[in-house]
Amino acid sequence: MSPTTPPPALELRSVDMHYGFVRALDAIDFTVNPGEVVGLLGDNGAGKSTLLKVVSGAHRPTAGTLLVRGEERSFRAPSDATEAGIQMVYQDLALVDAQDIATNLNIGREILRKGPLGWLGFVDQKAQRKRSESELDRLGVRTAAMTRPVEMLSGGQRQVVALARSATRVSGEHTGVLLLDEPTAALGYEQTQQVQDLIRRMADHGIAIVLVTHNLPLANEVCDRMVVLNRGRKVADIATSQTENDHLVGWITGARASMFA
Amino acid sequence: MVMTIPTQSDGAVAPAKDGSTRPPAPDRGARDPAGIRGLIFLRDRGIILLWVLLIVAFSVWAKPYFGTFDNAKLIAGAAALTAIFAAGVAVGIISGVLDLSIPGVAALAGVVCGQLLVHGQPVWLGLLCGLAIGVLAGLLNGIISLRGFNPIIVTIGMLSITTAAASIVAEGYSIPGLTQLTFMGTRRYDGFPAPVWIAGALFVVLTVFLTRTRDGIRLMAVGGNPEAVRRSGIHSDRYKVLGFVISAMCSALGGLVTAAVVTEANPEASPGIIFTALTAVALAGVSLAGGRGSLPRVLVGALILTTISNGLTIKGIDPYWGIGVTGVLLLGSLGLEKWIAGTVSRRLVSSAQASVHTGTR
Repeated sequence: MSPTTPPPALELRSVDMHYGFVRALDAIDFTVNPGEVVGLLGDNGAGKSTLLKVVSGAHRPTAGTLLVRGEERSFRAPSDATEAGIQMVYQDLALVDAQDIATNLNIGREILRKGPLGWLGFVDQKAQRKRSESELDRLGVRTAAMTRPVEMLSGGQRQVVALARSATRVSGEHTGVLLLDEPTAALGYEQTQQVQDLIRRMADHGIAIVLVTHNLPLANEVCDRMVVLNRGRKVADIATSQTENDHLVGWITGARASMFA
Repeated sequence: MVMTIPTQSDGAVAPAKDGSTRPPAPDRGARDPAGIRGLIFLRDRGIILLWVLLIVAFSVWAKPYFGTFDNAKLIAGAAALTAIFAAGVAVGIISGVLDLSIPGVAALAGVVCGQLLVHGQPVWLGLLCGLAIGVLAGLLNGIISLRGFNPIIVTIGMLSITTAAASIVAEGYSIPGLTQLTFMGTRRYDGFPAPVWIAGALFVVLTVFLTRTRDGIRLMAVGGNPEAVRRSGIHSDRYKVLGFVISAMCSALGGLVTAAVVTEANPEASPGIIFTALTAVALAGVSLAGGRGSLPRVLVGALILTTISNGLTIKGIDPYWGIGVTGVLLLGSLGLEKWIAGTVSRRLVSSAQASVHTGTR
């Protein structure tokens, strides 16, 4: 690798994952670069979820290597992956409904007040709101007032907050990887547009994004590249601009021969 | 006070930098419609409104005895104990657990303190040991519950254990003559009996803790969605245990104050206190699902209960009626709350704007 190109944000080299005799993943090579949105497509049981579990540290692969920013890593638990800057954004939206947006964005990394009140654990809510506002501004997100409880947001706004929350957590000193599993599953048209825009903008900030979806129009809109899995094997890895729906459907269903066969 | 946030920060996602497809969100005016603001005010402050209405009604009806400062002191004094226990129940529920061991912990704390005082130990040691009983019971409740057992059953078990322990410590009889404790029992400061000041201080401390400090905010969050907190890299288990500990400490404090008021430590746990406390908490609209609730409202809930029984007593009406009225109020408040929540969310969805801060929490 030449020194000018940065290493991929995340790289898998011939990763195998066996459950007993079932080969859930079979020699998968997979990369995602900083600022790139990669769609991970495939039918049910193709291995998408298994791949996400391996990457997010929930499962350990049977064989193969995993590199984060060019360094070999092995995750024993999801917290290891989080520490390496890989965040999974779950479908069920891990937000605390009764709390406001600022609290949700800041929980786990609160700003304490200065002086004796800080020693007692008092939170500087003004500073937290300000930080959250500037973080959302950087992502170009304007959902609602910071003091609004999450339960009073629409589904799309909630998903935007959940995504922004993950994004702010992986983009600390280095930009990390976000794993999205059907981020628009429960959303209407306009809300899906909001989330799409946000995904693109997060990528513009250098975050690497893996997007698992069954939604081909969504994948076509936001992904730079598509990776198709079929029965645990990678059958296609192609830039979005160089493919079309018919081919993708063929790879997903297995009707079209693998690119790598 | 319901705050309406101006909408300059409102609207959907701003147009993307590349000037993409969607038009900017239209300006939707600065405030929510008056109807919604009114409903949310009713939801957040309705209980205070109810209390004021009750006071006005009783002042007219039970003239001239009800509406006096002396009677206010009476009501405050009668509400203090209920309020202390209600604080324990409320913190438990907000952090996601219904702690049923409260009466037993209260009895044990009182009895342990009583035995120490009878055997010539200093007052501070007795009180400290009583509170330590609370911490210990809370820790046990929490640690056992974390092993995956249902907290309701665990705390029922703890109720039996602490009740038995109280009887054993007291050797079956109540411990009378605890006159050393009158300073926190019947003595008055500025006209109000000591328990009023204790309850007031407890509510101030707990309210500030839950709404202003890191650990308090996390505690509430754990009650609402422990999974979300865990994924933020926080040991949510610690906060669950903390909820149990605070709840049990409030019970122990309640037990000590009870002993101080009657200058006697009774090993008999009275399960009634938990239901009275629970009524106050439910009147205050604390959701049993956890994660939300406001302690100042719980305090008003406790005050409403004693206001009703006080007013009816002044009018010479049987106290049974008071209990019945409380029940009707409770069911009525449930219905009202459901109706408000439904109406608000329907209107908010239809107008897609919700620039309202719920205030208290």
